[in-house]
Amino acid sequence: MQKTRFPAVVTTFIVSYAFWILLTWSFSAQELAAGAVVSLVVALFSARFFIHERAFWLFSPLKFAYAVIFWLGVFMVELVKANVDMAKRCFTGCKNINPGIVKIPVDIKSDYGQAALANAITLTPGTITMEITEEAGQTYYYVHWIDVAKPSGKEAGDAIKGTLEKWLRRVWE
Amino acid sequence: MTDLMIFAIFFALLALMNFYRFIKGPTAADRMVAGDSMDIMISMAMVMFSLYTGRGIYLDIAIITAMLGIINTMLVGRYLDKGRWLYHAESDY
Amino acid sequence: MLRVIIDILIGIGAVFALAGTIGVIKMPDVFSRMQASTCITTLGVLGVCLGALLYAIFVMQHPSTAVKIVVIAALVLTTNPVGAHAIAKGAYQAGIRPEKKMETDDYRRDFDE
Repeated sequence: MQKTRFPAVVTTFIVSYAFWILLTWSFSAQELAAGAVVSLVVALFSARFFIHERAFWLFSPLKFAYAVIFWLGVFMVELVKANVDMAKRCFTGCKNINPGIVKIPVDIKSDYGQAALANAITLTPGTITMEITEEAGQTYYYVHWIDVAKPSGKEAGDAIKGTLEKWLRRVWE
Repeated sequence: MTDLMIFAIFFALLALMNFYRFIKGPTAADRMVAGDSMDIMISMAMVMFSLYTGRGIYLDIAIITAMLGIINTMLVGRYLDKGRWLYHAESDY
Repeated sequence: MLRVIIDILIGIGAVFALAGTIGVIKMPDVFSRMQASTCITTLGVLGVCLGALLYAIFVMQHPSTAVKIVVIAALVLTTNPVGAHAIAKGAYQAGIRPEKKMETDDYRRDFDE
């Protein structure tokens, strides 16, 4: 069991307080005080699950700018391309598919980076991450792919996650 | 104004179409996939209906529907996975 | 003019949701159905929520509605892949295989036999 650390508590407190303000959307003193107390209790109990590594990565402006550019720019372009492709397959009768599960190597070390990459792969239609394993220091993903163009290994990895991985490594380097 | 209501009805119809797969699906995973997309459809229909009537309470219903839907999906997925919650037994939590 | 833009955005969402629904009904096996249902949860939800956000900001002028719509979109987009991992892995571990055998199946090669 990981220990509860002070920076983790601060970050969790800020995030949950912001969420409280978003949900209630009233700025009277009573509501704000109640929100602070509840957020503090939540932060004390759940900080050790929420933050594993560097606690303040979100508050470094460069990383935050990279994260915003990635999720709102690069990732959206990939998302729209994959969606149009998938919609074409669905409207033309679901016949031209060639499903398979491939194993691709991943070069991101940080836990958050791996989780974010797995979620990004799953969110683009056509690929779903099934499992993450680690063999001899190298991380591998098992990815179900709707239209297997290349067999396993590095080429399949480039086709699935080329730009995504490049940008995520900038965010969580 | 009526276009929002038309979209709401359209999403409800899509949810009904997913219900066909929910009834017919040969395995539990099929049913769960259909159920997952069904409750997202229902929450989208709720958003449209809330904008149509102009009352915020339907948006709360949409939020709760989305939350409970994801909890359902996780639960059934983990149950199918033979209840193994941890990938590595030697992990520290 | 604004109403036309809102209608177009929601219409895009509806088209992708229809595509995903057709995929869920007609695809041959569980994993492919899951891929099709991702279509619903990404561009379907994004299109509808963008349209609804514009409506809430410029037509209704009601900030709490706009914030709740943003929360719905963020919630669906962040939590849904987690459920997709869980269902995909659970289905495979529970022994559900597609009828037509998959050509490349590294998962079976490494874990099953």
